[in-house]
This record gives sequence, structure tokens and C-alpha cells, in this order.
Amino acid sequence: MAGKFVGKPIPPQDAFLKATGTAPYNYDIELPGMLYAKLVTSTVPHGRIKRINVEEALKVPGVVKVVTGKDIPYMVGMYAGDRDLLAIEKVRWVGHPVAAVIAESLEAAERAAELVDVEYEELPAVFDPLEAMKPGAPLIHEHMEKYRRLPVFKPVPGTNIANKFRVVRGDVETALKEADIVIEEEFHIKHVSHAFMETQNVIAHWHLDGTIEIWTSWQNPNPVRQIMAESFGIPYNKIIVKIPFVGGGFGGKAGLGWEALVAVLSREAGHRPVKLVLSRKEQFTSGACREGFHAFVKAGFKKDGRFIAYDVKYVLDAGGYADYTVNVGRAVAYSADGSYEIPNIRCEAYTVYTNKVPTTALRGFGYSESHWVLEQVIERAAKKLGMDSAEVRRINLIKPGVSITATGERLREDVGNPRKVLESILQEIGWGKPSEKPKEPWKIRAKGVALLVKGPAQPPKAPSSAAIKFNEDGTINLLVSTGNFGQGTVTALAQIVAEEFGVPLESVRVDWIRDTHSAPYSWQTVGSRGLFTDGIAVLNAVKDAKRQIFKVASEALRCPEEYLELVNGEVRVKGKPWMKIPLKDIVMGYSYPDGTSIGGPIIGRGVYMSVHTTNLDPETGQGHPTIFHTYGGTGVEIELDLLTGEIKVLKAVQAFDIGRVINPLLLKQQFHGGFIMGMSIALFEEIKFDERGWVLNPNFTSYYVARIKDVPPVVEKFVETPQADGPYGARGVGELTMIGVAPAIANAIFNAIGVKLNNLPMTPEEVWKAIKAQRPDLIEKAVKEYQKKMKEVKAVA
Amino acid sequence: MREITLTVNGERRKAMVKDNELLLDVLRDKLYVKSVKAACWRGECGLCTVLMNDRLVKSCLVLAVEADGAEILTAEGLVKDGEPSPIQKAFIEKGALQCGFCTPAFVISSHKLLTMNPNPSDEEIRSFLSGLICRCGTYNQIIEAIRGAQKAYASR
Amino acid sequence: MSFGSPWFTLPEFTYHKPKTLKEALELLDKYGEEAKVMAGGVGLLAFMKERLMAPSHVIDLKGVPELGQAIYKEGEGLTIGATVTLNELARYGPLKKFGALHDAVRDIADPIIRNRATLVGNLCEAIPWVDTPPALIALGAEVEIRSLKGERRVPVKDFIKGPVEIDLEPGELVTAVHVPEPRRNSRSRFIKYNTGSEFALVSVAANVVMDGGRVRDVSLVYGAVSSTPQVAVKAADALKSAEKPWEVLDEVGRIASEEVEAVSDVLASEEYRRHLIRVLTLRVLREVMG
Repeated sequence: MAGKFVGKPIPPQDAFLKATGTAPYNYDIELPGMLYAKLVTSTVPHGRIKRINVEEALKVPGVVKVVTGKDIPYMVGMYAGDRDLLAIEKVRWVGHPVAAVIAESLEAAERAAELVDVEYEELPAVFDPLEAMKPGAPLIHEHMEKYRRLPVFKPVPGTNIANKFRVVRGDVETALKEADIVIEEEFHIKHVSHAFMETQNVIAHWHLDGTIEIWTSWQNPNPVRQIMAESFGIPYNKIIVKIPFVGGGFGGKAGLGWEALVAVLSREAGHRPVKLVLSRKEQFTSGACREGFHAFVKAGFKKDGRFIAYDVKYVLDAGGYADYTVNVGRAVAYSADGSYEIPNIRCEAYTVYTNKVPTTALRGFGYSESHWVLEQVIERAAKKLGMDSAEVRRINLIKPGVSITATGERLREDVGNPRKVLESILQEIGWGKPSEKPKEPWKIRAKGVALLVKGPAQPPKAPSSAAIKFNEDGTINLLVSTGNFGQGTVTALAQIVAEEFGVPLESVRVDWIRDTHSAPYSWQTVGSRGLFTDGIAVLNAVKDAKRQIFKVASEALRCPEEYLELVNGEVRVKGKPWMKIPLKDIVMGYSYPDGTSIGGPIIGRGVYMSVHTTNLDPETGQGHPTIFHTYGGTGVEIELDLLTGEIKVLKAVQAFDIGRVINPLLLKQQFHGGFIMGMSIALFEEIKFDERGWVLNPNFTSYYVARIKDVPPVVEKFVETPQADGPYGARGVGELTMIGVAPAIANAIFNAIGVKLNNLPMTPEEVWKAIKAQRPDLIEKAVKEYQKKMKEVKAVA
Repeated sequence: MREITLTVNGERRKAMVKDNELLLDVLRDKLYVKSVKAACWRGECGLCTVLMNDRLVKSCLVLAVEADGAEILTAEGLVKDGEPSPIQKAFIEKGALQCGFCTPAFVISSHKLLTMNPNPSDEEIRSFLSGLICRCGTYNQIIEAIRGAQKAYASR
Repeated sequence: MSFGSPWFTLPEFTYHKPKTLKEALELLDKYGEEAKVMAGGVGLLAFMKERLMAPSHVIDLKGVPELGQAIYKEGEGLTIGATVTLNELARYGPLKKFGALHDAVRDIADPIIRNRATLVGNLCEAIPWVDTPPALIALGAEVEIRSLKGERRVPVKDFIKGPVEIDLEPGELVTAVHVPEPRRNSRSRFIKYNTGSEFALVSVAANVVMDGGRVRDVSLVYGAVSSTPQVAVKAADALKSAEKPWEVLDEVGRIASEEVEAVSDVLASEEYRRHLIRVLTLRVLREVMG
């Protein structure tokens, strides 16, 4: 069905404001009488706070108050509940906020923060999660059993293990014995930053009557309210969270933020509004990043290519706090099997505290990590089996309606078409055809592919709702709490509403402020779920509004509802287009010529409830973890300079079975943007720590994020296998577009020269080291080729 | 404190500033020119880029007092009678923005590029804009937008 | 050295904008160690944000006309004033004669930064990863220094004494950098390797004087490898003494990679740096000898 709006490349509805620089972000907002906060942070990785001297700081003109952890001893969190607002008694990493200065100006707050003097008694610190897991390691959270956590998370008290999670299916031990080949490897991923452009920033106003007003740069308002209400024991309706435009989220603005802290600061500062903006360095050292990651795998295959056993242990380096990372530790385990049916699987994931920066969700969390491992395992096995890796993928690929996942879920018929995804990537990248030879003989070109699947990682109960409110002139306010931090989901939702009512797109408006008080509830905007869950809620709201409209129209036109239709913003009698009433004459109630009126203002309401998901068995991880699965993959052609180890992506292919294209322009943005973020993380990004846990590169000079000069062309392949219950058949895709990039690149290198790249990022140095360790001859040959070429140049000259 | 005068987007504006204040902060906090963003505050991300006396500068590394008497042009200033300029229209149509936080900087920089050279090569675009960061990864669409707007600049 | 600042605001100072060189020197003399001069401000303001510097007086040189000129005199060379920006210099035609400097100037940071950043500023920052010092040293450039007491000239090689440490006394001002006229039959180039970093991991400048098929003289200078630019003397000798220099290039690279001081830091390990020195030596020699 080709729609008037659905399926059309419509620019984001807020693009005008963004392109003209007039879109208000939280960073831009000021409230009357606002004060400024500045953090004082720990300079030791693990230690007891002996003394905090604030006398000098209080002397700075303009300083209102200096607050320390013992003044506000709250513990907050969403999943693990392990976070203090400011360090209470002890600090757990370099960068841990210890005190906050509140002042009349930012300058005064900064001057004073420089003068706060903290004395520590250092404790033994532990930076390596493998060490931190061992008995006898210094304990980072001594009393984690007391934290207010979601019951699905299982810490191991008396250790640094914040969560242990297992997925077990079949008999992996026996299957490994029966395997013809076994791949045994370790994989590692360094910490990375979300590097959203707008750093985390919050304005909080704790009003005298106890109402808390929050303005924040966050993905969705409801979790912010939930965390504060639950942690403070305050009724939900006394907390109002407002979110204007958001300068990027990528999962880093989904979990626990600074709102609770700043709210308390506002209370402490005599109920004046307080603003906290993190500097980029603070974002790196005091905000949360993606965890460090280690995987130890054994994978068994039969000679014919069947993947029969997968035994994997994951260790996540969660840092000083693991509030969201405990959930990453679940997602990484239940996504271990990716797009394949593996009958015997055992997967253990440990989320472990260390004395490093805390960690949280990052776009595609868990899935990026599990696929970095799995997709390389497939490639290694294919080589060992002497098979084409595409064939090994085909053999093991899940079959819709038939296959059972690692968590024991039988996949639906309409789950998507991973085979079509694979074939379209292979075709576009020219699989099997050798790359053109580069002019420089010290370089090689190669192709690589990675498949992937992802669903939203969420608790079983994660509903959404939407409301459609008509205005006097027939225009529509669409009320949702769907986050709007770059994905454009709200534009897609507006397209759906315009389509359904046959009104111009401009008639449907989603406000740019997300507000817990006036917008209907939506659990979170994370996990690529917004369009799916909130889209369903919107369609249900449309249905509800239409029902009310037809009821009034039926009475007004004296015609049974089944003979009515809604076309171009009018209710008409089918086959008699002259018998009609424009929407605007119905939506505030219909008036007969004599003035008597019927009906009333129309408000449509609709909900989405996650009915398919269940809790996972605590011992075996069996159950339904996600509400849909989107299959996809990435193909790349790369060029490797053997002299430097530098990898350059020449061409990228992104293919995803998104069910139904609602807006190809927005989808293209995700396909490109996800590739670029994925490539940047694959090739460049790593938060580096020194041996004392200090971040060495808290800036964009040495923490390098891809610039415009680094990006290749990206080819988009939309595969459309509609999902029966998706809005117009659509599924989510936002995060998925970066998950396959790193393994596709590593697979390309492995295909071409057999060099294994088990560590992310694949910086030139890392790649050079791998080649030097595994194929030193290639480097020396490259140097000789280079010299030879130079002599040729000379000879011509 | 001293008084400085700036011509911001064609309008003469005065501000009282301290010697250690940055142009970035004065534009944002005293003159309410909020299109000027910042993400690193040390010259790396380029989101605070403005045209100062027809030169692109990163305003987090310019003192406000240095800018006394200068003409400043920002993304807001490209709008005429409520109509976005051709480069802004092209950014909208090509979808060259996602979260939008970096967009004003890319818009004003692309505007300057096209003013100097209405027909830049891909290489020239990539080099000229290499000091700006877009984490959403709209770079390919930004190149498309510049291509889309170049006709309008060629005929100016 | 940490790069990244938690602070949004600068420490307090008084801003001065002298209109003549004399006035500037008087201010410098008056405030001595309390004062810092500013040209483009790129390095100074970033350092001040990190609290690595906190001068009470900032002296902006952009009001002094004679510091804003780049002048080339045939046979004498190129003199670049303290406030000449990198972009102004890049557009100055005669710069092309100074190949290594031309390369370095056109590729520092990014085009927007180069609208403010100056050559003299880049040099005086003296942070190990900056690009112009290796090029200037390979070209035999000198720094012109003025104070109320008089003037002196120092080779760039000696001017940089250590990381963020230069041969400049309180009251003194670097007014210009002078690059001598390139020698006959000479050719110089600068290349850097900075994939995945804004700063170079390794840079190299080579200045070669050819004589028929042989290399009569060569200067090889490496940047970003250690706390100060490194001159490879043995590698240069090996190239000069070779009958067939094209045959020994990798040997020269190997010697250089072993002879110069190289360190591990946040950007690269020593081992990788030494490898890059070898590779970049090949590349730069290919450029200058080809």
C-alpha cells in the first residue's frame, strides 16, 4: 500500500528549527533566578574521604553553598541501584563527584570548586575486571545486597560481581566433543564514549511545596521521573520532567543521570533553580561510557558447516557503578547466537565493578559486543572448514517459523527475512569477485560481511501510550513521550497520523518538549523500539479517535457507521461524496443548524503492551526477552596499508529487514549515521586509562571521532518483510546500523590475509601489531614493494 | 568590565564584558545568540564556529574583547524574512541533520565555503569541514546538501 | 600532560592591545612573568582553560601592524611576523619555495583553526606534537626575539628546549620567524601520520640537496616522537655517503628509527613510533628525491 505520507522521504518536522539554529536545547535554557553548579571530583581511584575543607571555597563572592555526599546520602538507580549522588564516605574512581559548589555565576562556582580541598585515605584499587572477580580482590561495593535493585539482577555479595547471568540450552559439553572443529579464542573491547555533542546538562527546581521541576538533556522523561520518585520516595505526580531538543543520546542519556543530584542541590540552595552542565572532560571522566569487554569462547562446528556448540564467557568491565551495565550483561548473553540457530549453547556473563569510570548503555548495547565475537567466530570456522563463509552463514541462518533461539523462543513466521538480507549484501558488495588491485602494491583490498539481529532489551512489561487531541480548526496535537534526539521517530509518527486521517502533514504536530505531566506514558525511548511500540500506540489512538468521530458523524449524517469513510480530512458517505462533514465540524462536537450540538472534543487514546515478552529463567535464561527481532547486516570493502596498519573503508553496504519503510529519508540517515558511528568506534575510539585509573584522553584530539574526511559512501538496502503487529508492518532499526560494522571490517582483513583482529578498536597500531605478530613477512614484503616502486618512479624520472 | 559593540547578524549590539570572557559565552549568555553551541570548549568540535569579519572562527577560543567592533554572522542571520537561506533549505531537504546540535556550525561553515567557491570538489568539502564533528554521522547528507545549494550560490 | 579541561571559564586577567611594537615591549617589560602574549590565542586560551597558565596580563599583538606581515626577499628568505595566521601564510605565494613549511602549514589542525592560529604561536606552544618545528628546523629557520634591551636570533632547533619550554626570557617577544632562502638544488617536504588523532603520531621533515645522482646534504627532522623535535644525524650521513642513494632508503629509515629518541604516550607506543619513523622516512625521501 503506497500511502500519501507513509513511505515518503519527508524531512524531519523540526528540521527548519535545527537548520536555522533556533531549536532550543537544554544547554540553551535559562530559568529566572538560576544558580550554577560545579562538581569537585575525586583524584584517587579508590579511597575513604577523610576530610573535605570548603572554607576557602565559601569565601569566593557569589558562592551560595558547597554540598558534599554526607549532606545528601541518597542511593539512586534504575537497575542495580548502586549510585550515590555525591560520594558518601568513599570514592570509587578518579572523577567520582565528591562535592558540588552552587554559585550565582558559573565563574564563581568554578573558582570555588578549585578551592575545595579533599583529603583521602587511599584504598587498594583494582582496574582489571578479571582480577576484580577473584576472591580477595579489593571490594568496591561492600554492601551491594542492600541496594534497591530490580529483582532480575543477581549480584554476588562479597565479590565485585554486580550481576551474573546465564543462558543455557542443549548440552554444550557433549556437542563440543562431537564437533569436527573447535574454534577457541579471546576477544576484547576497550571503553568507548557516546560522544553525543550536547554534554549532559540539567536544570532542577525543587519548589517550596515539594514539586520538583526538571529540565534535562535526556532521551525520554519517564525513567528520569521513575528514578527520582523511587529513590526519594516522592509521589510521581510531584515530579515534572521536561525535555526540549536533545543533542544526541546513543543510549548514554537513557539510564541514570544527574537530575536527582541537581534537584537536591536546588533544595539545598534555598529552592532556587540550579543548572549543571558537564564539560567534555567531565563527560569523559565523571559521566558514564560503554564498558570494557572480554570474551572467552569455544565454538564447535561439524564438517558440513553446522554450528553445533557455543560455549562463551563474557566479562564486562563496568567501572565504579554498573546501574545500567547489569542489563548490558543480560543482553550480551541472550543475543549470543545472533542470526543463527545453535542447538547447544552455554553463555555466562559477569558484570564486574572496577575502579574506573562508570558505564552504561550505548547504542546496540550487548549486541555490539556479542556480534563482535560471534561474526568473527563464523569467519574463522569457515576458513578452518575450507568453506565460503557466506555458505556457513546460509547453513546456520535461522528459519522463520521454525528455528528456536538461545533463549528457547520459537521465531515467528513474520520475524523477517535474514536470508534476503544476506543475499542482498553479498550481491551489492560483489562477494566472490576479487577486489580491484590497488595501485600501491603495499596495500591490499578485501571484503567482509557481518550479519546481526537485535530486539529492544527491556523488562517484560514496558508499555507505551499515545493521545490524539483535535483542535478547533481540525489540526491535531499528537501527544507522545517518544524521545526526539535525532532519530526522527516523531516525524514518522506524525506521518502515520496524517495518513490515517487524510489530513496534510502540517496539520499534525508533536510538541518539541517531552513532558511527564502532559504526555502519555511511554516506558523509554531506547533499544530501537520507539517507532514500533509508540507507533502501535498511535495507531490505536487513531482507531479510538475515529470511532468517536464516526459515532458523531453517523448521527449527524443519519447514516450507519459502516457506510462512512474518512477521506482527505472529511467524513463521507461511501459512494455519495457530496454527503460529508469536514473533521473540524466534528472534533469539537457537531452543531445542527438550530444550534443543538452532539458529541464533544475528540481525544483518541491508544496503548501498546508488550505481550510477547516474559521474565527469563534465572538459571537457564530461557524465555522471551524482546518484543521483535530485526535482522540485518553490513558489508564492507576495505583497503589495508600494510606499512602502517591503517584500514580505510572504501565502500559500505547496509541491509536491514525493517518490515516496512515509513520514511526512507529518515531511514537512510540511520543507515549512514550508524555506519559512521560504528566505523569510528571500530577504527579509532578508545578511552585510555593510566595505571592509576586516570583517563588520558578526555578530549576530541586524542579521543578521535570520525570527521567528514573519514567517511565512505554507504549503500542502503531496504528489505521489507512486514511484521503483522508492527505499525504498517514496520520494525525498529536505529541502533542496529552500527552493530555489524566492526566485525565486517575484521572479517575482511581475516579473509584477505588470515590475520585475526580480536581487539577493538582496530587502530593502525593495533592492526600493525597483529600483522607483525601473525604475518611479519607481509610488512617486510610491503617495505620491499615500496622501495621497488620508488625505484620505478626514479627510473621514469 | 568594558563595553564592546558587535554587529550580530546585521544588528548593532552592545555588551558589558570582563576581559576573561569568551566570545562564545557572550554571544550565548549576553546576546542570546543560541545557535552557537559548544561540545568541547577547546577548539576541537567546531560547534561554536561563527563568521567573524567574514572569517570562520571557533568562538570558544576568541576573547570577547578581541571581537569588539566585529561583524558576526551565525545560522540565525542567514534567515531572510522568515525564509531559510538556500543552504539551510538544502540541509532540510537532504536530511543533513539528525539531533541538530552541530547543524548551525555546519550550516554557517558550508555557507562560507560556497560563498568562496560555489563548486567545491568532494575533497575540498571534506577538507574545509574537517574541523567540525557530527556524531550522528550526517556527513554524507551534508555533502549532498552542499551540492544541492551550490546552484543558488553560483548565481549570486 | 592532560589535555582536557573541566573548566568553562578562564582565570581573571587584564587584556592589553598595544598599537606599536614599542608599546608591546614596554608592557612585557613592565609585567614580566605575569604577562603572556597572544596572537591567535588558540594555544594560550586552551592552556589557560586547563590552568596550565594563568597570566595576570594578556597582551594581544594583533594591533601591531609590523607583526602581521610575511615578507619574502629573493636570496634572503622569508620572514613571518608573529601574528600572521596559518591561512594567511598558506595563501602567500612565495611559501611554495619552502616545501616542508608549505606542507606543514597547510595541514595543521583544521581550516577554521588556521584562520586564527599563527606560525609563531604554533612554534612557541612547543608541545611535542605540533607540526611546524620539524619543518622549520629542517629549513634552518631562526627565531627573531626582541625586548627593550635589544634583539637576538636563535635557531629554532635551540629555541625549543623541552616540552612547553622555550628559550624566551620574561620581557622578550618573538617578533618573527626567519626562514633562509633554500639552497640551490634543494627540495624539502613535510609529512605527518595522524590517522585517528588530531595530533601527529609521527611527523618528519626532510630537506635534501641533490648533486647529480647523489645526495650532497640532507636534514631529517622528526616531530611528535619525543619531547622535542629529533634530528637524525646518522641516518643523514648514511644517505649522504651512499653511492646510489635510491638503494639505501630503507636502511636510512631503519637507522633513523633506531637513532632518534622516541617515547610511548597516549597516541602511540614507542615501538609503533619507531616503525612509523621507518615508513615515513621512506615516504618523505621518495617525495624529496623523486
